[in-house]
Amino acid sequence: MPHEELTAPVPVLAFPRQTLVSLLLFAACWEALSHLAPLLGIPPFAIPSLLRIAKSIATITPIDVVVTLARVIGALVASFVVGVSLAMAMYRSETLDKYLHPLIRLFMAVPVVSWILFAVLWFPGVEFRIAFVLMVVCGPVFLVDALDAMRGVSRDLRHMMQSFRPTTWQYFIKLMLPAIVPNVFTSWKVNISLAIRVVTIAELVGAVTGIGHQLSVAQELFSVADVFAWTLVLVVLLFLLEAVVARLEARILRWRP
Amino acid sequence: MSGPLPIEVRGLRKVFRQASTGQPVIAIDRLDLTIAPSEVVAIVGQTGCGKSTFFDLMIGLDAPTDGSIRIGDKSPHADFDYFRGKIATVFQQDRLLPWRTALDNAKLPLELIGLPENEQRERALEWLKRLGLGNFTNAYPHELSGGMRQRVAIARAFVVQPDILLADEAFGHLDEVTAAELRETFLVLARECASTAILITHQLEEAISVGDRIVVFGASAKLLADIRVAQWPQSKHALLREAIQSTLQNNRCDPRLTLPAKPRKKKLRQLSSA
Repeated sequence: MPHEELTAPVPVLAFPRQTLVSLLLFAACWEALSHLAPLLGIPPFAIPSLLRIAKSIATITPIDVVVTLARVIGALVASFVVGVSLAMAMYRSETLDKYLHPLIRLFMAVPVVSWILFAVLWFPGVEFRIAFVLMVVCGPVFLVDALDAMRGVSRDLRHMMQSFRPTTWQYFIKLMLPAIVPNVFTSWKVNISLAIRVVTIAELVGAVTGIGHQLSVAQELFSVADVFAWTLVLVVLLFLLEAVVARLEARILRWRP
Repeated sequence: MSGPLPIEVRGLRKVFRQASTGQPVIAIDRLDLTIAPSEVVAIVGQTGCGKSTFFDLMIGLDAPTDGSIRIGDKSPHADFDYFRGKIATVFQQDRLLPWRTALDNAKLPLELIGLPENEQRERALEWLKRLGLGNFTNAYPHELSGGMRQRVAIARAFVVQPDILLADEAFGHLDEVTAAELRETFLVLARECASTAILITHQLEEAISVGDRIVVFGASAKLLADIRVAQWPQSKHALLREAIQSTLQNNRCDPRLTLPAKPRKKKLRQLSSA
């Protein structure tokens, strides 16, 4: 490695120039369009100016962000625990696998909107409805990924571990769970994005708090600026959660070459 | 560690069904073998002769179709848990857990037998140092060379000071210099631990240099020859290698392998006539 590379300062925040340029271009086009909207016959509220959007961002209520975040993280953790536990049980028992596998496939084929409707019809409590929808959507992803990863653990490693005669618990704790960690991180990344989208729809339908509810209010008020602001919050939230997972992944999987 | 144990194999038979045709395949056909406590036995045979099946049966992961294996008075399969910490294995590839450091890999068997954490650490460190890895205890497997990884695997096997040590082509994939060095280390440690050891190999040089006895398997683990290496002086090792080679090629015991026994018979006859 050249000496310069070793001594070069490491940027605190890696933000590619191209990304910055494309974002600025998009903002400039939007701003131009917002001014041209009346001339093009588009109602002024449909494309608000950046200043108007900034004002909407300033009025964002943190409690709604926290509530949505708590719902997402809570449901993801619960789905993860249930999904991985079921995967372990299905890995151990071929019979259980044969009975549960078709159901899991069926659950995964049901559209999110149908789950939301079922939740509204079946459960009176808003929080329970949202948790149910999130878990039923994200749980199978964790389960299927974990089960596939367990089955993908090399025969050599399984053989080696068994030769030392572990208990069933030790076998899972010392071999299976560490072996599936890379796949678990992939599932988390997929599920974070899925959960953010699902929680928004679920809150849109039945909640009285959260980002989804605020989007619903903004829609009733025909405030595109508010919709834009809350959407921006969702996107930032998604990026932040993904960044946290990526950091954890880099730290925990430092053993990878 | 409960002390060195004898191994008794009686009428051992293992039959598999071929997945594609359903036809039975006899991997081991009525094998009888006795191994004394602390004896180091090298098993040689051609590919597909049932060596690895025998290895799996010895570990206890698989049950015999017929016959028995007794280690002391227990079966490695039926009394599987009894042998936790008593049987250790070294495989052809190191089979280290990639997410564990050398130290954590070496202490794995100690974790399984539930030793206190500080004792696990001390013992694993000691064995890694003995195997020349004192400066690499925190290295991950991908940061180590093939020879170093195999040393960690050997440390992992010896750390419990096993009664029975099983090695399957443990040095076959290494370069000759590293393999010779590790063979010697392995033998010294096995003698020190007084473990009864079975070393499966296809390399005759390895079998001659490590084994107290060499057992030659023919097809379906048929016992073709059972050689006590001590009866062959160093100067005749080339002849011994040739005779084993010929036994393996012809699937029957080469007459030269019975040579060292002849003078003893003659001596006996002389004694009886006197």
